[in-house]
Amino acid sequence: MLTLLLLAGLSQVAWAHAILMESKPALHSSVKGPEVAIWLRFNVRVDGGRSRLHLVGPNGAQQTLPLAKQTSPDILESQAGGIKPGAYTLQWQVLASDGHISRGEVAFTVI
Amino acid sequence: MMLKLVDVFGYLSVILRAGTLVFQSLLLGGVLFVLWIARPTAEAGTGDFAKVQAYSLRLLRIAAVGLAAMQAFYLYVNSAALMATAEIGLRDVVGANFFISGSIVFISALAVAVLASPHRKAAGRWLAVLVAVALSASVMTNHAASRMEGRASLVIVSFLHELATGFWIGGLPFLLMGLHLSRDRPTQWYITKRFSRLALVSVGVIVITGVGMSLSYIGSWQALYGTAYGVMVSAKALMLGALIALGGINFLLLRNCAPDAVMPRLRRLVEAEVGIGITVILTAASVTSQPPAVDLVNDTVTAQQVWSRIKPTWPRLGITALAQSSTASPERFLPPDSMTTPQTSIDGTPLSAAKLADIVESELNHHWMGLLVLLMGALALLARTGKAKWAEYWPLLLIGIAVFIIVRADTEAWPLGPQGFWATCLRPEDLQHRLAALVCIGFAVFELRVRRRKLENHPAALVFPLMCALGGALLLTHSHNLTNVKEELLAELSHVPMGILAVLAGWSRWLEIRLPAKDRGIPAWIWPVCFVLIGAGLLNYREI
Repeated sequence: MLTLLLLAGLSQVAWAHAILMESKPALHSSVKGPEVAIWLRFNVRVDGGRSRLHLVGPNGAQQTLPLAKQTSPDILESQAGGIKPGAYTLQWQVLASDGHISRGEVAFTVI
Repeated sequence: MMLKLVDVFGYLSVILRAGTLVFQSLLLGGVLFVLWIARPTAEAGTGDFAKVQAYSLRLLRIAAVGLAAMQAFYLYVNSAALMATAEIGLRDVVGANFFISGSIVFISALAVAVLASPHRKAAGRWLAVLVAVALSASVMTNHAASRMEGRASLVIVSFLHELATGFWIGGLPFLLMGLHLSRDRPTQWYITKRFSRLALVSVGVIVITGVGMSLSYIGSWQALYGTAYGVMVSAKALMLGALIALGGINFLLLRNCAPDAVMPRLRRLVEAEVGIGITVILTAASVTSQPPAVDLVNDTVTAQQVWSRIKPTWPRLGITALAQSSTASPERFLPPDSMTTPQTSIDGTPLSAAKLADIVESELNHHWMGLLVLLMGALALLARTGKAKWAEYWPLLLIGIAVFIIVRADTEAWPLGPQGFWATCLRPEDLQHRLAALVCIGFAVFELRVRRRKLENHPAALVFPLMCALGGALLLTHSHNLTNVKEELLAELSHVPMGILAVLAGWSRWLEIRLPAKDRGIPAWIWPVCFVLIGAGLLNYREI
């Protein structure tokens, strides 16, 4: 009983393994458009073929970004074109080599 | 919706990982038990070995089917989550590392289930090969497989760690079964001696590889207490310490006492070892749901932040606040000082009045619950002294907890809130709370009967210690998010010690009931002390 009450305090569960260590654009940074190079480095090996990048624009529209061939097992790269000025959110989801799915966001501004 | 799917599957994955590790350990321990420990030799004679072997193979088959089922479910859940969230087809999922590894474990486990039979005399070496293959594949779905640096050495260290865990903890249920089945004292003595030697080597390997992995995955003293990963590894190490202590008692008994004096105690101690051992494995599954501490460069909590959260402070036990509903007017519920001093979360974010009221309400609930648990433990201790017969009625406080749950669980509903009893009766959350209260009342009545009418030999007397141990194990087996790593860690710092104490309380009460009367002294003192400490921890629980 006590356990159930205590667990209620830990109800926000999620699957968390891969951590974004570094990104370009960086979190809350400003970059120049209309071509924006995307570069993400994780703490673990990620499966590029089974990972996804989505870019959410200022009007809420979402586009899936194509991933380039991995140059290193911990890095994902992509290129977003035709990007107009405004606030953007890069949503990432990766499959780590150990089978864990992780996801996160990077907010940035295009000037 | 898709994002929520990953969250739900996240917790499910921890449960599946826990199941996988438990069955995998049973498979490893079982194969070694069948092939080496319970194998008749000239030294031991024939004894009851045939019977022990036959039943061990049966348990091995059950473990193999369990592992295959866990892997099938894991493959389904992980594939479904990936297909739904990454919008890819099954054909693309099949080539993923986790799918290949999981499939190998699944097929190996099924093959063990088929081959583990007393009628297949030549299957022994195949069993050994198959469990080695299953373990190798399983290791490819843990932290080591995804590391950028030192991957090969970490995979080998993880393999040895899980192998030794399986041989020891996974072998314990087989030892227990062997002791139960064999009526022949020399057979019991022989398998126990052999197992003891194996356990000694396994403990050494577990400790050495555990330290090695901690150095790689934790990396600093601050990360040991300042990250959820470090705290969970510490919890695992503490429980392993308890397990080694029990194993040490067994070892000394075997060395210093005659078989007839050892065996009645040993069986009971091994029962507790099995329980604590499984909890250690469950905690390990929880550890695998988190990123290694060494990677949380900017999210490690400092010693000052930990101290400011755990330093002893006066609990919130205001009767007026207890009788109020916080939802009608949150500000009314706040303590006076919060209106003048702005409150912030650990990362400095200001807290709204509504959020603050929620926190205060949660703390108030924890503190009242803590007071009741502390009183339960104190009365149980008093009863133990034999000087206050009336203190034997401590289970009545469980009724107090039941009343507390009914009154405080939902302040919008009856009796505090405007919504009536019948109107909320079929609402799942309220129904759950009221059922929980009924369970508490049931426990109170039953435990009271156990104490007053001395029903300790009745199997049902074991339900209460089992529920304590299960509750503790549940607290130690949960997944973790990365949305607020520091708050997660601070919550964990309060929950993990209570989980460990609940596990210790459960198994010490178990031993008090199960051990021969003259050996019950120490465990009979341990569990009330654990209750007192859990109560004290709850009284000092804070969310800001």
